[in-house]
Amino acid sequence: MSYEVTIEPLGVTIEVEEDQNILDAALRQGVYLPHACGHGLCGTCKVDVLEGDVEIGDEASPFALLDFERDEGKCLTCCAKPESDLVIEADVEEEPDAANIPVRDFTGKVVKIEKLTPRIVGVFLEIEGDEVEFQAGQYANLHIPGLDTPRPFSMAQSPNEKTILEFDVALIPGGEGTTWIHNELKVGDTLELSAPYGHFFLRTSDDKPMAFFGGGSGLASPKSMVLDLLESGDTREVILYQGARNLEELYYKDLFEELEAKHDNFTYVPGLSGPDIEPEWEGATGYIHEVAKEHMKGKFEGYRAYMCGPPMMIDACITMLMRARLFEKDMFMEKFFSAADAEAESKKSPLFRNI
Amino acid sequence: MPSKKLNLRKRYELLTRGMGWETTHQKMDDVFPYDTFEGIKITDWDKWEDPFRLTMDAYWKFQAEKERKLYAVIDSFAQNNGQTNLADASYLSAIKLFITGVTPIEYAAHRGFAHLGRHFRGDGARIACQMQAIDELRHQQTQVHTISHYNKHFDGLHDPFHQFDRVWYLSVPKAFSEDALSAGPFEFITSISFAFEYVLTNLLFVPFMSGAAYNGDMATVTFGFSAQSDESRHMTLGLEIIKFMLEQHEDNLPIVQRWMDKHFWRAYRLLALVATMQDYMLTNSPMSWKEAWDVYFVENGGALFEDLSRYGLRMPKYHELATAEADHISHQVWSVFCSLGNATGFHTFLPTEEKMAWLSEKYPDTFDKYYRPRFEYWAKQQAEGTFEFQKGLPQLCQVCQVPMVFTEVQTDPMQISYRVTEHGGDKYHFCSDGCKDIFEYEPEKYVQAWLPVHQIYQGNCGGATIPEVLEWYKFSPDDTGDYIGSRDHARWQEWKGTDAMVKQA
Repeated sequence: MSYEVTIEPLGVTIEVEEDQNILDAALRQGVYLPHACGHGLCGTCKVDVLEGDVEIGDEASPFALLDFERDEGKCLTCCAKPESDLVIEADVEEEPDAANIPVRDFTGKVVKIEKLTPRIVGVFLEIEGDEVEFQAGQYANLHIPGLDTPRPFSMAQSPNEKTILEFDVALIPGGEGTTWIHNELKVGDTLELSAPYGHFFLRTSDDKPMAFFGGGSGLASPKSMVLDLLESGDTREVILYQGARNLEELYYKDLFEELEAKHDNFTYVPGLSGPDIEPEWEGATGYIHEVAKEHMKGKFEGYRAYMCGPPMMIDACITMLMRARLFEKDMFMEKFFSAADAEAESKKSPLFRNI
Repeated sequence: MPSKKLNLRKRYELLTRGMGWETTHQKMDDVFPYDTFEGIKITDWDKWEDPFRLTMDAYWKFQAEKERKLYAVIDSFAQNNGQTNLADASYLSAIKLFITGVTPIEYAAHRGFAHLGRHFRGDGARIACQMQAIDELRHQQTQVHTISHYNKHFDGLHDPFHQFDRVWYLSVPKAFSEDALSAGPFEFITSISFAFEYVLTNLLFVPFMSGAAYNGDMATVTFGFSAQSDESRHMTLGLEIIKFMLEQHEDNLPIVQRWMDKHFWRAYRLLALVATMQDYMLTNSPMSWKEAWDVYFVENGGALFEDLSRYGLRMPKYHELATAEADHISHQVWSVFCSLGNATGFHTFLPTEEKMAWLSEKYPDTFDKYYRPRFEYWAKQQAEGTFEFQKGLPQLCQVCQVPMVFTEVQTDPMQISYRVTEHGGDKYHFCSDGCKDIFEYEPEKYVQAWLPVHQIYQGNCGGATIPEVLEWYKFSPDDTGDYIGSRDHARWQEWKGTDAMVKQA
C-alpha cells in the first residue's frame, strides 16, 4: 500500500509507502526537501499539509513542532507518514524550467543495436503508436526480464525525437542488467519501460552560457541536451567537454565535430585520459576536469555546468568548478551509479544541498 | 487546487528585504563602518541566501509556546522536589560550571549578534543576526531560570555573572567570547556561528543534555531541547556565512582560512572544560570525551571539511593534535581542579573506584598508565589526612588562559607543553603552537589579556591571600573544597539516607 504525495510549489508527485516517512520517500525519488537532524528535533523539515491526513509521528519533538503548528496542519517530514494521499507545501524553490511531465509506462521494440565503442552499445527502441514526452537529460527505467528492479538509462536522442529512443549502455563487469543487454538483447525484442524520470534538465529561462561534462556512457544526457539547444536555435555559448580513456571509447566525435562546424556558438572539447591513447590522437589529454580547467584558464564564473558520468568524474569536476568560481546554484548533475559506487558513498555534511 | 501563490522564499524576501536603503545624507561607509575593515570583500549583498525564513510574528508565537512548555516542566520539577531524583549531588558541580562558564557566553553571544544586527550592510544578514540575538538572550534567561531552582538547595550558584568576570578558570570562556566580540563582524560570526555553533556545538550539547538525562536532571534536559530547536537556525547561519564569504570574492579565502584555524583552536581549548565535565563531573557519563570527539569532530567535522575543501579550504591547523589530545585533556584538567579545589566555585572529588574502572575502559591507552596513579596517590593522601591543595598559583597560557597543564601528547605525554615568544621586550607563554600562532598574528591584542593569576599577584583581586581573593570572587567557604564533607554532601545524605559517592578507602 502506498500513497501519492504532491509537493508544492514544485508540483511534483512522489509515492510514499505505508510506514515510510515523507522525507525518506522524497529523497529516494530525487526530490530535495530541507532537513537536518533527521529525527524530529530540529524542525528544519517542517511543511504545511494542504490536503489529506498525516500521522505526525511520536518522534516529533514538542519543541520542534509546537501544538499550535500541529493544529495549523504542519508536520515534520522526517517523522510524518501519510494516512491518505497528500498535498504538502515545502520550503523549496520552484523550478521554472521543470516541465513536470508525468511518468507513464511504454512498450518499446528494439530496432537497432549499434556498437558505439568496445564497451558501449547504443540500443534504439521504437515506441509503437505512442510518443514519449521528456526533457533532455531525463532517464527511463527499463524493465529487464528476470530482474526485480528496473535499471535507469538516460535518453540520448533529442527530445524532439519522441518515438525512437536511444540508450547508450556501457558493460559494467558483473552488472546483471548491462550484461543481459550486451549479451542477450536482440533486434526485434520488446522491452517494458517507464519514463521520464529525474531532475536533470536544461535551465533555459536565463541566458547564462552552458558547459556540459560527459564521461563514458554519461555522454547520453549531455548529447540530448546539446542537440535540444542547437535544434531550438538557442544562440548562447555552449561547450561540451567529453571525457574518454582513448580514441576508441570517444564515441559520437564525428557528430559533434559536424555540429561545431555548423554552429558558431558550439565548442566541442574532447579529452583522453589514457593509459592506452592511440598515437594519432592530437587533442587534449588528461582527465576531463583538467582538460576543461586548462581550456577555460581556470575561470568558469558566469557559466552554468551540467555534469553526467561516474561519481568520481563528477566529484572532480565539482571541485574544479568551485575553485574556478562556479558554485552550487549553477551546477546540475546526474551521477551514474553502479551498485559498487553506491556503497562507496561517503558521509555527507549539510553544507551543500544538491551536490 | 488553490491558485498559485508565492513560494516561501519570495514571501520572506518581501517581508525582510528592501527594509534597508542606500543612504544619501550620510555615506554608506559611515553608516556601516565595521563591515569593510577586516578585508572581506562583498560584491553583492543581494546574493545572501536567507538561512531560515522566520518572521517576527511567527517567531514570538514559537518562542512563547516553547517558554510555556519549559516553564511548566520547571514548575513541576520544583513542586516535586526534582533535585532529590538526581543521581548524586556531586553532579551539581557540572551544573555550577555550566551556569558560571557557559550561560554568560550565551549572553556575550547575544551582545555580539545584536551588534551585527545593526552593522552588517546587507539587510538579509542583519535580520538573521537580530533573530539570533534574541535567541541567545532567551537561552541565557531560561538557563538562569532553570538552574535557579538548584540555587535554593545547593551552594555555588548564587552569582554567575559576577564570577564570570573575575574567577581564574572562568577567564577561559570570558577571554574566548571577548576575543570574538572585539573582532570585526565577519570574524565574530565565523567564530561563534561557524567554529563554535557548527563545528563544536554537539560536543557541548551531547554531554550536557544527555548527561543531564543520565543523571535525573529533567529540568536541564528540557531547556536543552528548547535551545536545540533554535540551534538548527544558528548552525545554518554559520554555514551560510562561510559560503557567502567564499563565493563573494576569491580574496576572502585566505582570511576565512586564518579565522577557521584560529577559532577552531580557541573553541577547542575552551571545550577542555567540557571534556572534564563529561568524564569526571557527571556521576553517570553517557559517552566519554574521546568517543564524542571521534563522532562529532573526526567523523562529522571531517565530512564538513571534506565538502569545504572544494572551496580551497583545508582542515584547521593542529586538528591532528586535538585528536591526539582527546586521550588526555579531561584527565589533565580534572587534575588541575582537584589540586586547586580550595579555589573553585564547585566541589571537586576524586574519581570513585567505579568511575576509574569506566575511565580505564574508555581510555585503555592512557588512563591506567598516566592518570590513575595520580588519583590513587591523592586518595591515599586523603585517607592518611596528608592531602593538601596547591599553595601556589598556576602559570596561564597568554591566549586560551587555561593553566599550563597540557602535555606533549605526540612525543612525551609526561612533559608539559611550553611555548614562548618575545614581544616588545617581554616574554609571553603559551600552552601550544596553536595559541602561540594566534598571539603572533595579533600580538597587540593579546598583550592586553587580563590574566587572573597576574592580576592576583599585582594585587588587583581583593588581596594577597586565598580567602581575600575568594571573597572578591564572592565565593563563600561552603562553595569551595572537596565534595565529601561539604554542605551539599551533608544535605544529600540527609535527604537520601544513603550515599552514592563511595568514600575512598
